[in-house]
Formats: sequence, structure tokens, C-alpha cells
Amino acid sequence: MKKVLSFLAIVFMLFVSVFWTKNVYAQDTQNGKTAMSEMLLAYYYPQTDAKSEISMRIVNRQGQVRQRRLTMLRLNQTSGGDQSYYIYFHEPADVKGMSFLVLKHPGRNDDRWLYFPAIDLVKRIATSDKRTSFAGSDFTYEDVSGRALDDDGHELIGEENLGTQPCLVVKSVPKRQGEAEFSYRKFWIDKTTHLSLKVEHYDFKGKIYKVYETQEIQTIQGTPTITKAVMKDLENERYTEITMKNVSYNVGITSDIFQERLLRRPPRQWIGE
Amino acid sequence: MDRQEGEMKLERLTQIVLGRPKLVIGLVVAISIFFIAQFPKITIDTDPKHMLPATSPVRQYNDKVEKDFVLHPDVIVLGVVNTDGIFNPKTLTYVKDLTNAVRQIPGVIVRDVDSLSTVENVFSKEGELVVKPALGDIPQTTEELAVLRKSILDNSLFVGRFISSDGKAIAIFIPIETGANGKEIADKIRTLLPKNSGLNRFYLAGDPVARDTFGTEMFRQMGLFSPIAGLVMCIALWFMFRNGIVIIANMAAAMISIIWSMGGLIGLGFPVHIMSSMAPVFLMAIATDSVHIFNEFAFRLSEGQDKRRAILETMKVVGPPVFYSDITTAVGFAALATVTIVPVKIFGLVVAFGTLVILLLSFTFIPALLMLIPEKHILKLASAHGKGEKFSPSLLRLGRFCVEKAKPILLVGIVLFIVAMTGLMRIHVNNNMVHWFKFNSEVRTADRIMNKYLGGTSTAYLIVQTKNEGAVGDSAFLRQIESLQRELEKDPLIGKTFSLADYIKRANLIMHDNVPPFNRIPDSKQEVGQYLFLLQSAAKPRHLDNVVDFSLKTANIIIQLKSWDADVMKSVIDRANSFFASHPLSEETNFKPAGIAYFNMVWNHEVLWGMVNSFLWGLILVLILLVFQTRSFLWGILSFLPLLFTIALIYGVVGLIGKDFDMPVAVLSTLSLGMAIDFAIHFVGRFHQRYKEAPRKPEGDGLASYSQSHLKEALIWTVARPGKGIFLNAILFALGFAVMAFSALTPYITVGVFMAAIMILSSVMSVIYLPALIQLGHRKLIKEGGV
Repeated sequence: MKKVLSFLAIVFMLFVSVFWTKNVYAQDTQNGKTAMSEMLLAYYYPQTDAKSEISMRIVNRQGQVRQRRLTMLRLNQTSGGDQSYYIYFHEPADVKGMSFLVLKHPGRNDDRWLYFPAIDLVKRIATSDKRTSFAGSDFTYEDVSGRALDDDGHELIGEENLGTQPCLVVKSVPKRQGEAEFSYRKFWIDKTTHLSLKVEHYDFKGKIYKVYETQEIQTIQGTPTITKAVMKDLENERYTEITMKNVSYNVGITSDIFQERLLRRPPRQWIGE
Repeated sequence: MDRQEGEMKLERLTQIVLGRPKLVIGLVVAISIFFIAQFPKITIDTDPKHMLPATSPVRQYNDKVEKDFVLHPDVIVLGVVNTDGIFNPKTLTYVKDLTNAVRQIPGVIVRDVDSLSTVENVFSKEGELVVKPALGDIPQTTEELAVLRKSILDNSLFVGRFISSDGKAIAIFIPIETGANGKEIADKIRTLLPKNSGLNRFYLAGDPVARDTFGTEMFRQMGLFSPIAGLVMCIALWFMFRNGIVIIANMAAAMISIIWSMGGLIGLGFPVHIMSSMAPVFLMAIATDSVHIFNEFAFRLSEGQDKRRAILETMKVVGPPVFYSDITTAVGFAALATVTIVPVKIFGLVVAFGTLVILLLSFTFIPALLMLIPEKHILKLASAHGKGEKFSPSLLRLGRFCVEKAKPILLVGIVLFIVAMTGLMRIHVNNNMVHWFKFNSEVRTADRIMNKYLGGTSTAYLIVQTKNEGAVGDSAFLRQIESLQRELEKDPLIGKTFSLADYIKRANLIMHDNVPPFNRIPDSKQEVGQYLFLLQSAAKPRHLDNVVDFSLKTANIIIQLKSWDADVMKSVIDRANSFFASHPLSEETNFKPAGIAYFNMVWNHEVLWGMVNSFLWGLILVLILLVFQTRSFLWGILSFLPLLFTIALIYGVVGLIGKDFDMPVAVLSTLSLGMAIDFAIHFVGRFHQRYKEAPRKPEGDGLASYSQSHLKEALIWTVARPGKGIFLNAILFALGFAVMAFSALTPYITVGVFMAAIMILSSVMSVIYLPALIQLGHRKLIKEGGV
């Protein structure tokens, strides 16, 4: 009888421990995924629409600087789902008037069009690529428009204070390895604003090669907004600084401006010279 | 007279040594132990870039170019060749998997590994621009494979670089970190290569592989051939003297000089370079000079002298020539210190130091060892040489022949000299690192195959610097760059060039749906700027950074060369110069070459001409020394002639057979300087002594004929007795180094064959031409020389 009891006890304990570890694991990935999804919403989807003027400073290791100035219009179709972007480049002079239209569909390839004023031509760009740079900066296209939540597995690996801000630390590993340049990323997500304050990119040998850092957050129309950030490429000794000016939310952007043919005639009510 | 004083001092030294032989040997052993203790500190440096000092403008500019254009200095190229074409699922999977796998290897710069599976292909399809990895998901059907093939081969940026135009070869570029060992990484890559891969063949090429394989192989070969050379010399010594102590003494002198000089080099913190790795072989060769001591010692013993007296007498007669021949050898090598190439400078000083060690040992360690030879061995040594003045009959015959047939001998010499001169005229200065491997070696085969299919394994850059920001985006400027590239590509060994012009042309073409007339640089600067913007968004930033700077002020043309010959790089520069002469750039725009190919060209040029320069200085110094030693300008010149003749013949042959005058050959010139002069010094020195020692002339009428026969006797004696030492020395040496002809590395083969040839030739030149010349010019020489 004792034997049977002890056997049952062992079986029970095994069962419990299996269940328990599995549960903790699930909890952690669950928390990781939640944190990441909150971050994506806070960073890419605040309010219904937004208009901002963005300056980019790309600095190479010689200290040479490349400037970009652009206006970005965004309209959410559904929260956390489809979005439309209209990007108009003001500077440098030779690209002035180039504009970029993106219809973002999380889970499948985005629709993108680019307008070339020099030859007065709109080109549709078909790409499934995750690694291309955004306008020659150290930010990738994905960094700017967001990477789909389900492309990575997310795991909450701890909590840490970054400066005075308590953060959740989430490790995100691409489900299809080799598709992205990184083998995984680590996010420090501010517990109160849900914005990421720091992102570390690790290569296939587990070496850190790129770091994103938020440098300034302003609360605009009640929405905490990153207004200054930097992406540093540690190996190539390049970095890109990004500054947001004149950010305003819910300005009444409508779907009809996100049309291929309007790339030639930018909506002047939103985009100045 | 300081010369006499010097010789007196050397004699005193030997006397002191003979008083305390065990102490001397103990001291030498103690010092050797000190130098051996330095060996564990050894560091090795095989980077050819370190041939130029860190302060050299070429090296600094090259570093700046690599930094500014984010170019990797060390790139391994992994080639996959399939003669049925690489567009089949199996080969493509290999390419994709290998690209991923090599990124795990320590020392590989992970993100910058470039192959078709990591670069974006931007192309036009049904009016859309498609941006996607050139090789993404592996297609399985024939139709899909054909589509992929077309999309890749249509991209002119890929053809010649990532893929061969016939679709049979693919290249994966694997940059490695500075300081990483190219051979070790290549070995790790080899373990990743699939087995039983059918028609697929894998090749590893590139500068780091060649350089570090050579570095590893170099020490293996030196480790293998130095002892074999030593062994062969031991055996030869045994047949000559049949005496263990003689062999030990000779080999010990060589070993000690190697230990002291290499230990000193390592102890002072210098890395061992390709050049200094050869120092031991050179020192072993120079140490054979002590054979003269043994040869004379054996003669003296066999003449019945007691051991101590025999040693003293030997040192008295052999000492001065040994002293002067070692000094001239040391001077010849020390002359290399005038070269700007650091490793060559160090090599020269190491060998010069080692030679001085040999000199010191000749007057201390060797007499001390001879002193310790037990009596019974002495008797054996003496009996081996027979009693009294017994000469080899063939040497006596040779001596007579030289004296009697002086004029025909001279005539043959003049004819040979003229032939050698025509050869010298045809000497071609060139160097090729890959040719340091044998034709069928793995490294050279890989290089050859890769160069057959693709743009080229060697890289150069042409940096075109303009005055104004944005000037590179000017259409006219880009067209000029493009024309230059077409001009360069006319050379069949310049395989592939690419620049910003190629990117812009490609963008223009795909923006216009592949309509052929748009395969050109667009007309407006604005258009160029917008295409550049497109490209920046469709590629890794690094790839554009490779060809243009941020401010569009400086452009880089990347040139792939199919040969590591310094000549090909010269052709690049010559073509660029003549192109810009007929199509001048706008004001204040200039161009400058850089890259490994240019680097190799520059240091080759500096090594070679530096060597030639220091060699000429060495010749002059040696001539001055000879004049000083013989106290006569004429005798100095005479002793100098066999050297000159040997060198002319050797390099005449190099020119005639069309062998490139490359670095190993250049290094040998300094060796020939030191070695070839030794025999002449011994010959002339001993002849003088013999001529003086011999009974003086009688009075009266018989004067002229007596003096003539006395001269003949002295010459024939010199040919037969010191001549034997000279030939023994030469044969010993030649045998030792002939084994290097079996080496796997061509520089060592060259060194082995050339050393043997130099020794044999210079011994023959000294023993045959010196008596003939002395005989012909005796009136002038004997009067002038005051012999």
C-alpha cells in the first residue's frame, strides 16, 4: 500500500511539475507577447491619425552627415491592423518631391508606391524583404513601419530599471531564422508608456551589433510620443538620429489621400513646401 | 699596421681559448641557453601589408580608404562550381546553407558575408519594381529555376562578382576580422563543405587564405627542410673527414648562430616574418665556412704537427680569410638595413648578426672543440688525409690546366659573360603571391578556377576625389567613370569593375522596365539623386558606402583582377593614367589607387628595388673591404671578379629562362654576395701566403724563369690545397640545399636550387678563373701587389 501511495505521489509530483513548468513558460511567453503587442500599439498606432515632421541625421564613421527631412501622415484603418502612410521628402534638394505611399497589412506584404519627380513616374514596389534600409538610414523599413507581432516569438526575460524608468525586458526571436539580419532582439519596454526605450540587435553569433535608444519622450495631446531617438550601428560605426517635430494627432486625415495618383500632387493641406 | 695588429689579436684570442677549452664551450652553451629561453615568446606575422612600415603613406592611405568606404581588408572567397550549371535545387541549397553556416565561424564578420542569398536583387517585373533576396526560397521546378536564372543573370551588378556569366560558378564573400587567421577559418569552412556533392566543386581563394596558408606552410617546410639539409650536410662531412667531432663542431656552429640570432630577434619582440623564417637556412649555409678550418687542420695534422700547434698554425693561416669572408658576408646582409621594408631590414640584420656569431665561434668555440678531440680520433683524421703533402691528382691537374690554358679559359669566360648580359637585359621584375604555391596546390588551383569563371580574386580600388560636394552625382562625371571602367576592362586580366555608375545605370534600366536604351547614366543630376535614393532603400547601406561617400565628393571604383601579378596592377594604373590624359577630369579632381593589389605592387616594387639598391651598396662595400684586405686596388678587383661573374651568370640565366625576378630571387642576390666572395678571399689569401712562404728566388739569370715557375707552383698548390676546402665547402652547401627543391612552396625551391647553383658556380669561378687571371696579369699584379 505504501508502495502504491508513494508511486502515486511521484506520478502526481511529476505531473504537477510538468504542468507547472509548462505553465510558467506559457505565462512568460504570454507576458512577452502582451508586452510586445502593447509596445506596437503605443509606438505605431497611437490615436487614429497623426501628422509629424521628421528630420533624420545619418552620420558615417568619417563624420560625414546626410540629412533627410520628411513629412509623415498616418491613418489607422483598424487598431493594431491595417494602416496607411504617406511620406513626403522635402530634403535633400535632389529628392525633393519624392513621395512614398504605404498600405500596411500586418501578416502579408505591404503595398508600396514611390514617386520619382525627376521622371514624373510612380513605381509600385513589390517586396517581401525585411532587411532593407529606410531611405539609406540605419533604421530598416521594418523599424519605421513595424514588424508583425507574429513574426517573432516573444519572451519576457525580466524587469529592469533603465535610468529611473522601470522596464520589462522582452527577447524576440524571429520564427523564420535567416530572414532578418538579427538572430534575436532585446527590448526594454517602459512599464508606464509601453514605449520601447532601448532595443538591442544580436547577430547570428549572438553578438550585439545595433542599438536603438529613445532619447526624448513628450506627451502630445495626452499621448506619450517619442520625439527623439537614435539607431547606432556598432560595427560600421554609423548612426542615425531621428527627430519628430510638430506632431499632432487626430487632425482629420482621410483615406482618400492615400492614393497612388495623389503621389504626384501631394495634399497641400497636410504637407507644406 | 692595424691589419697585422688585428690578426695578432685573433691569434692571441685563439691562444687563450686553447688554454681553457672547457670554459669556452661552457660559456657558449650558457649563452645559448639564454637565447633558447626566448623562443617561447615567438610571434608570427605573415601579413604582406606589414611589409611597409605603419607610417608609410601608401599604407595609411589604404587604411583610410578601407575605413571611409567600409571595405573589408581581408575577404575569403568560397567558390561553388558546377559544370552543369548551378541553377539546380541541390547546388542552390548548398549556396544558401553554406552562406548561413560560415556565419557561425568565429572570426567571420557575420553581417557582411555576401552571397546571392544575402544581397537584394532589384528588378523590373510587369511594370513593378521587385526588391527581394537574389536567392530566397529555393525553387524546385524547371520553370521557376529558369525564372530565377534569368533574374540573377540579368543583373549586371551580380555577373562576374557573385555569379559567372555562364551560370556555372557562384562566389560567397566571407570577410574576416583583422587578426583572424585566414587558414584556420578556411579549414573550418572545409569541414562544412558537403561530401559526395556530385558535380559540385568547392574552392577557397582570397588573400587571407593564401597568406595564412603560406605562413603555416612556411614554418612546416622550414621545420622539415632545415633538419634534412643539416642531415645531408652531416653525411657529406662524414665522407670528407670521417670524424664525429668535425661534424659536431660544424653543425654546432650553425645551430648556435641560429639560436643566438633567432633567439635575439624573438627576445627583442620582433615577429618572425616570411623573410626572417629563412634566416636559419642562410646561417647554416654561412656556417659551412668553418670547413676551411677543418680542411687545413687535417692537412696540418697529417704533416705530423702536434694538436695544439696544428690548431694555432691552422688559425694563423686560415684565420684572416675566414675573418674577411665572414665580415664581407655580414656587410652584404647588413646592407639590407638600408631598405625601407621592415621585414627585409630585420632579416638582413639577423643574418648579419648570425654571421658575426659564426665568426666569433670560428675563433673560439671551434678551436676549443678541436682541442678536445681525443688523440685516437686525431690519428684517424690525419690518416684519412694521408701522410705529408698528398694532393688529389685531379685537383693538381686542374691547377696546371688553369695556369697553362689561361687565355682560352678567359675567352670562354668573356663569351659566357656576354650571354649572361643578354639574359640580364631580359630580366622581368614581378611578384605573385599565389605563385608561391605549386601549380597543383589547393590554393593555386582554387585561385585559377575562380579566376577562370569569375571577375577575379585580387582587388584594387581607384579613388576619384572631386572638389565639390555632390560632384560625383553629376552625369558627366559618372559617364567618365563608366568609360574608364570600359577602358580598364579591355585588359583580359582585369575581370570586373564596378562603381556608382553601374548602380545608377542599373536603376535607370529597371525604372524604365528593362528597355535597353535606358541602360545608361541618366542626363539630369536630379534623376541620379533620386535613383541613388531608391538604391539606398533597396540595399544594405554598406554596399553603396563601398562606392561613394556621403557627401558625393569621392567615388570608389572597385576593380577585380584575375591575377596577383604586380604587373596587372601596373596595367590598371597605366590605363587609368592614359585615359585621364586623353579625357581630362575637371579641375582639382584627382585619382589615387589603393587596395591589396596596389599594396602588393608597391611593396614588391620597394622590396625589389630596395634589394637591388642595397645589393649595389653591398657590392661597393665588399669591393672596398677587399681592397683594404689585399692592400691593393688591383688585387681587390681581382678577388671581386668571381663574385661579379657568378652573379651575372645566375641572373643571366634567370632572364634567359624567363623566370620573374621576384622576392625570393631578390633575397638570394644578397646571399650570393656574401657566399660567392668567400671563396675568392680564401683563394687569394692562401695564394699570397704560399707565395711568400716559398723559398726565395736565386741570384742571376734564372730570375725570370724561376719567378715564373714559382708563381705556377704557388697557383697549383692553391688550387690543390685550399681549393679542396673550397670545393668541399661548395659541395657540402649545394647538397644541403638541393633537398629544398622538394619543398611544396616555390620560394623555397628557388632558394634551394639557387643556393646550390651559386655555391657551385662561385667555387668554380674562384678556383678556375683566379689562377688563370693571376697567371695572365702576374706582371702587373705581383709588382703592384707587392706580394
